[in-house]
Amino acid sequence: MDWHLLGLSFVTVFLSELGDKSQLAAIALGGSSKSLRAVFLGTAAALLLASFLGVVLGEGVAQLLPMRWVKALAAIGFAVMAVRLLWSGGDADSPLALENDPE
Amino acid sequence: MPQLVNHSSSSSVLPAHVEPPLSTLDPVIGSSESLSNDVATHYASETLMTATDPVASPASPQDSSLSHSQRFEIFLSTFFTIFLAELGDKTQVTTLLMTAESHAPWIVFAGAGAALVLTSFLGVWVGCWLAKRIAPRMLETLAGAMLLGISALLLWDVIQL
Repeated sequence: MDWHLLGLSFVTVFLSELGDKSQLAAIALGGSSKSLRAVFLGTAAALLLASFLGVVLGEGVAQLLPMRWVKALAAIGFAVMAVRLLWSGGDADSPLALENDPE
Repeated sequence: MPQLVNHSSSSSVLPAHVEPPLSTLDPVIGSSESLSNDVATHYASETLMTATDPVASPASPQDSSLSHSQRFEIFLSTFFTIFLAELGDKTQVTTLLMTAESHAPWIVFAGAGAALVLTSFLGVWVGCWLAKRIAPRMLETLAGAMLLGISALLLWDVIQL
């Protein structure tokens, strides 16, 4: 077991992820969603799968997928969640919305 | 947990009466409202009781007040947006380069994976910490603005590619 490599990859990824957009998303979703566990599991699973693909496929991932469309799709996803949060007033059926009294 | 199944069936009937937590504090509460509250407490188990609690509900997000499908929807929307956003991102490039250099993919993945689980835990924990200190309305606005900002960052990536 190469502990040096393990520690190195841990520290490198930890520092590069700290304050990155996925962590900001986790803060925003964790604060505004009603199920912390679902947000944590979703975030962790997504990040694990993304780095797993990075390890397994190597540089192939950039060639396999049209990165522009992938990023655009993610941008649309975040925008939709933002709009649902900002315009959710009174619509407490939305699972992403906090319970707020309609005024 | 067997009681969750029980709850999800009752929540589909009752949410309209249970949702506004502040209305239970309202002094000019209607008699029909309090009647429906009685009905709610009659039908509901302790999970719905906590949902009507005016103090606990807005301050601390509660897993117990959600059905399985709602939680799964939150999981899926979180998973897919973050997964798509992270594909080809600098963390993935870092792990890829370290794997290529060391030829020990599983050790790199173990280190990177532990770091990613920790950063996402910290993120959710900070969000939860903020949720207890900021008014729900304000928090939703801030969270929405943050998500819009992330969306803009990703669109900027699209233009740069």
